[in-house]
Amino acid sequence: MCGSVVFFFSRPRSPDRRLFPAQVSVLYFARSAELAGLRCETLSVPRQITSLQLWEEIVKIHPRLAVIRDQVVFAVQQEYVLLGDQLLVLQPGDEVAIIPPISGG
Amino acid sequence: MDEGEDVPKDFIKLKSEKLSVNEVSELVISPCCGAVSLFIGTTRNNFEGKKVIHLEYEAYMSMAETEIKKICRDVRQKWPSVKHIAVHHRLGVVPVTEASVIIAISSPHRAESLEAVMYCINTLKASVPIWKKEIYEGEYSWKENKECFWTNSEK
Repeated sequence: MCGSVVFFFSRPRSPDRRLFPAQVSVLYFARSAELAGLRCETLSVPRQITSLQLWEEIVKIHPRLAVIRDQVVFAVQQEYVLLGDQLLVLQPGDEVAIIPPISGG
Repeated sequence: MDEGEDVPKDFIKLKSEKLSVNEVSELVISPCCGAVSLFIGTTRNNFEGKKVIHLEYEAYMSMAETEIKKICRDVRQKWPSVKHIAVHHRLGVVPVTEASVIIAISSPHRAESLEAVMYCINTLKASVPIWKKEIYEGEYSWKENKECFWTNSEK
């Protein structure tokens, strides 16, 4: 470490925002909305998290969702993501949707 | 009619009102096209011996529109002569025999629009975030399309 430090700024730098959790909108559809008992909420989640870890965070809040774990995927900012090791990089205000098996048409 | 305005268009609508085959087919009619192909998905009155009272649909609206737009883009890439594409999907309660989805596509000759319509409904069932609940007497069931790649149908 340096023996002396020179500050070029008139005030201390702000803490790195990347270390803070992000407030994301979580949307529930079809069977997942019935099990969770709601259609949307705002959750505070780590900005970097695997899709499986994110699922586990959500199940802690809504344990009844556990029964559909093998049938759902996420849609993060409207892109499908399987539950697994995929690392998500979440920004504040991002939209995460729980997507049970679809049946349109 | 100004022929310069007859540029290829996609007409996508998700709505709770009754769908109209006349309305959807008229959207895609074009002076340069000799074919309009149509698919209508209607509510059946039975499933595995159970009487179906009606279907109820819900959608992740913004993503469903985006995914349908992607399908339209894919259709135009595969069948460049396709002119207009219309996809109307009903939401909420759909009684037996009424239409839940209507797809209409126009092209100069029939092969392209016929193939494109089939591709459109097959891909819609595989990728568009819309869900249907079948309501029977005294119970209901969330349906799962076999085309859905994350469905657990083997269990």
